[in-house]
Amino acid sequence: MEGKRILMVDDDPDYVDAVKMVLEKADYSVEAVYSPRDGYRALETGTYDLVILDCMMGRGAEGIIVARKLRKKKELGNLPVLMITGIRDQTGFFFVGDPKDEAFLPVDGFLEKPVDPSVLLKEVGKLLHSRKTEESKKGE
Amino acid sequence: MKDPNAILIIDDEEVVRDSCTRILAKQNYKIQAAPDGESGLKMVEEFKPDLIYVDLKMPGISGMDVLERLQQIDTTIVNVVITGYATIDTAVEAMKRGAYDFLPKPFSADELRLITRRGLEKRKLLLEAIALRREKEIIRENFTSIVSHELKSPLFAAQQTLYAFLAGVAGELQPAQKEMLERIRSRIDAMLQLINTWVEMTSVDFRQIRERFKPVDIPGLIFKAREMLQAKADDRNVQLVTHCPFSVEPVYGDEETLLEVFLNIIGNAIKYSETGSCVSISIEDGNRELRVSVSDTGVGIEKEDIPFIFNDFYRGKAQSKTGELGSGLGLAISNRIIQAHEGSITVESELGKGSKFTVVLSREVTKNSIGDAGKAH
Repeated sequence: MEGKRILMVDDDPDYVDAVKMVLEKADYSVEAVYSPRDGYRALETGTYDLVILDCMMGRGAEGIIVARKLRKKKELGNLPVLMITGIRDQTGFFFVGDPKDEAFLPVDGFLEKPVDPSVLLKEVGKLLHSRKTEESKKGE
Repeated sequence: MKDPNAILIIDDEEVVRDSCTRILAKQNYKIQAAPDGESGLKMVEEFKPDLIYVDLKMPGISGMDVLERLQQIDTTIVNVVITGYATIDTAVEAMKRGAYDFLPKPFSADELRLITRRGLEKRKLLLEAIALRREKEIIRENFTSIVSHELKSPLFAAQQTLYAFLAGVAGELQPAQKEMLERIRSRIDAMLQLINTWVEMTSVDFRQIRERFKPVDIPGLIFKAREMLQAKADDRNVQLVTHCPFSVEPVYGDEETLLEVFLNIIGNAIKYSETGSCVSISIEDGNRELRVSVSDTGVGIEKEDIPFIFNDFYRGKAQSKTGELGSGLGLAISNRIIQAHEGSITVESELGKGSKFTVVLSREVTKNSIGDAGKAH
């Protein structure tokens, strides 16, 4: 998985560092931004293979808004989005493990904070792999 | 300055409308009058009266009917009935239909002023009570979600860092270092769990549970709870056994919170069980009620602890076999959930021998209470 580029959008730098440490050890290259706005900007200029998105940013569940915006941007193609959130952070929106409502929250993966490093790497690997197979299908 | 209070007078006699208007005009009120119930009711939406005088005997729809319709429009509008033939019976009837006071004809200017003042005072109190209730609700919800986010964020960051260290990402750890970090990790885990439970306690509106009632397949729910707890049971080498009749009629209830209850009770049973022992869950179906009991052969509860185990933040002296500390809220929440279902949750236990928790869900109460809603279909 060397060279795969991951963008992490999370407003807590300490949390980001802890996740980054794990991903970088697995040879991913990780770029972190700390607000949705910087996230959009990074996606305009850089290219990434995966976005890791915090759910609770700013005044509320801004991560949901970000996820919905990303899904609408055609130019991003099928860039996978992995959302990480504290369980029941926003009371009553969704529960981890629930079937996800694709229309409400369009993300490809969903993990609960704090994330076990092996679970994180597995999920990241899975999402990157699914993207690769989809793209190779398109190429045929 | 505050908006003047609005008063609507509905009376078919012109002289009553005019005299009321004149008497009250000296104060700072907005006044409108209507000659019959129909036109009066039409004015309510636009005029937004604080107080309405309604004559009982009018051509067209009667004063009683006006009162009834007003109740459906806005229960905070204060209604006073005007009548020429005041009897106890009509007074009682009018009060039943939501009238606040009574103005017998003929009345003096002072009487009218006094009743108006009292009526408006009542209206003010009603609105204040509503505003306070709403404010309390908002504070409760926002406070909990903000505080829980602020409390949890740093814990998530700390925990995530510990996870990385424990995974050896920042270099191999000495066994002693690893063990200490593990201990910190489990302390933070317990704290996160406490916050989650506390959020749940304050954010779940137990009165709203009833609104989500629908037929629930209890054996299915138990199966789901078992599935979710299987890993925990395997970890402790505890066997889960379910005894269930072949077919069980659904019970009215709220699936989500009931699942919470069963997760809690079965989870506790696993937590306090000896390794290699068995937790048995049995469902008994009756005409009037459905009983689910969960028995373990674990540590049991001390006699003097039993009366308190459903209290908030109460933790018995018994140590769980996993060493994990609970929040002391699980049973308190379960109890409230079951109470909202008008059921009961009880415990029999002996120290060193095990505990048996029994949840009883009534078929009668739940059927009756939602029977009306069911008929409407």
